Amino acid sequence: MIMVEKFLAGSAALFGDPITIAIFVFGVIGGMLFGAIPGVSMLTLAAILLPFTADLDPAQGVMLFAVIYCTGTYGGAITAILFNIPGAPENAPTAFDGYPMTRQGKSGKAVGAAVLCSAIGGVASALVMRAATEPLANWAIRNIGPPEIFALVFFGLAVASSVGGRTIWKGWMSVLLGLLIATIGQDPVGGINRYNFGYTDLAAGIAFVPAILGFFAVSEIFVQAEKKATGQYDAPKVGMSFPSVLELWAHKFAVVRSILVGFFCGILPGIGATLAAFMGYGEAVRWSKNKEEFGKGKLEGVISSETANNAATGAAMIPLLALGLPGGALTAMMVAVFQMHDLEPGPLVFYNSPELIWIVFAAMFYANLSILFIGLLETKTILYLLKIPFQFLAPLILLLATIGAYISRGLVLDVMVMFGAGIIGFLLRRTGYSIPGIVLGLILGKIGEQNFAQGMQMVHYDPVTYFSRPICTILIIAGALTLAAGIYRAFSTPK
Amino acid sequence: MGQLTKSHLIEGGIWSLIFVVFFSYSFQFNQPIEIYKFGATGWPRVILLLLLLVTAGNFYHQYRYGSAVQKGRVGIAETEDTEADYSNPATLLKVVSVLLTPFVFAYLLKPVGMYSGAPVFIALIIYLFGERRWKWILGITLLIYAILLGLFVVVLNAPLPQGNMSPFYDISGFILKMNTNLQNLW
Repeated sequence: MIMVEKFLAGSAALFGDPITIAIFVFGVIGGMLFGAIPGVSMLTLAAILLPFTADLDPAQGVMLFAVIYCTGTYGGAITAILFNIPGAPENAPTAFDGYPMTRQGKSGKAVGAAVLCSAIGGVASALVMRAATEPLANWAIRNIGPPEIFALVFFGLAVASSVGGRTIWKGWMSVLLGLLIATIGQDPVGGINRYNFGYTDLAAGIAFVPAILGFFAVSEIFVQAEKKATGQYDAPKVGMSFPSVLELWAHKFAVVRSILVGFFCGILPGIGATLAAFMGYGEAVRWSKNKEEFGKGKLEGVISSETANNAATGAAMIPLLALGLPGGALTAMMVAVFQMHDLEPGPLVFYNSPELIWIVFAAMFYANLSILFIGLLETKTILYLLKIPFQFLAPLILLLATIGAYISRGLVLDVMVMFGAGIIGFLLRRTGYSIPGIVLGLILGKIGEQNFAQGMQMVHYDPVTYFSRPICTILIIAGALTLAAGIYRAFSTPK
Repeated sequence: MGQLTKSHLIEGGIWSLIFVVFFSYSFQFNQPIEIYKFGATGWPRVILLLLLLVTAGNFYHQYRYGSAVQKGRVGIAETEDTEADYSNPATLLKVVSVLLTPFVFAYLLKPVGMYSGAPVFIALIIYLFGERRWKWILGITLLIYAILLGLFVVVLNAPLPQGNMSPFYDISGFILKMNTNLQNLW
């Protein structure tokens, strides 16, 4: 009852002030727009807006970023489905089945399912977050440490290597390449420069945003350019039919499973929505009777990935607000918003600024509802993007990607890295490697190494101690089984 | 040679080269860390050794089965399996031009800046993608440039590279001054 009152008070604070309403609406539309424009992402918008939040009230600043996080995560699905360019890494598994659906003229069904499932995942996550932030944070403090986070990274990478590449070998090589790229820059324990090849700018490592834009957006432009040059280009078909209620109802278990997977990944510090989407997709494949249909335009693939990544958005706020630990790039920027206002996210926020917490909770709940209403209204308009000839869309995407890569650090080197990643991505795609695998390796590499090092120090370099921790044991066994299944298939499956 | 082709040998060679370069370079930062037994090289070297192992596995797979998609793989669109035909040198030239133009644009961003470089880049990409109607090239270039200025300069005040060479720096300065005047109107 108290919780409902607090939620209503948060809602009243959100909708009682015209400036706060304007910021909320800006966040909803801006997140969807920047998520849905190929070449830029919600991170670009967040990076541009970060300095302006200094002039806002702390609650308004954090709320704006939380809203962009929810709607941007959904927006990225649209470009993944229509152009095979995930707006953010968390939308990468959506492209596995979403883009083949577009090629088959079922783009309306894929986008419609993404709208609905993003909203369901996000609303469910916001509700659980509202009810359980404090108990979950307490549970996480007691049960989740570096060994568990390393074990989850291991499991996640094992799942990621099993999807996307032409063979299991190429799946593993893709993930390992991402992990290798993540080692560039200072090592997370001693701060020693690694692989900077004499360039001081590389001491900070390869920035995620340019690498991701290069691997996803630029490489796709190059693939389409090659198709145009060789006469193989085939314009995608516009399909306006939405999924029926029966079609969606048939996937109710996939939705529930993805909510659980997404929420679990979301509450773990540093993991966030990207791994949630991969795990959601991986679990859908694991439980399916028709595994071979995945990757060829199966609606369940889109549903699982989009439900899981949005279910992680609300959950990712739990370690941020309760422990002060960001779960990804955007939540890390939220820490900066807190710090700009002389606040530190963590348990004290609940006591010092409870109104801030409840405005953020209410805003995330309504932002996820907005995905449903605005998403359904705008979907048909967005589908017409497919009618724009690609020779006109390509320069726009490349230019926006250039701006997106440059803005976050103001370095031309990042633009070069992006185009370099684009060429590497293009060549790797032609030879059947998994771009999402590389990106996941890149994102989780540093987190994995840092938590492995901390975990090893905790257990005094005795790996057997890892197995005295139940969550850690389960995750390591699950990861090992996934790898073992891959090895078995690698040597036993005929072509 | 089994099912191996020249491209498989090149592919294997590139991965082996990556291993050799990165493993050799790891000796440059092979310093002990007092609080961490495995040092700065432990993690990257394990990754490199696994990469070498998997590269050997991949080579073996290609020797046995060629480039075929392994049965049961998910997340692979069948449409991506079609091989491009590069028998015509003009085709290769077109693709290489598209691959290199963004690099040249990125390289010139520092001296030329975004404001002067973007219109040329946009028009060039449209041309390289096969559009030959100059009115369309001009019109779409102006439209995209207007979107760039409207959204990132006027609305978001994003700091874009201005160039450091005359007259490009002056052109950027002129556009930014116009923007300031526009902002002062409201």
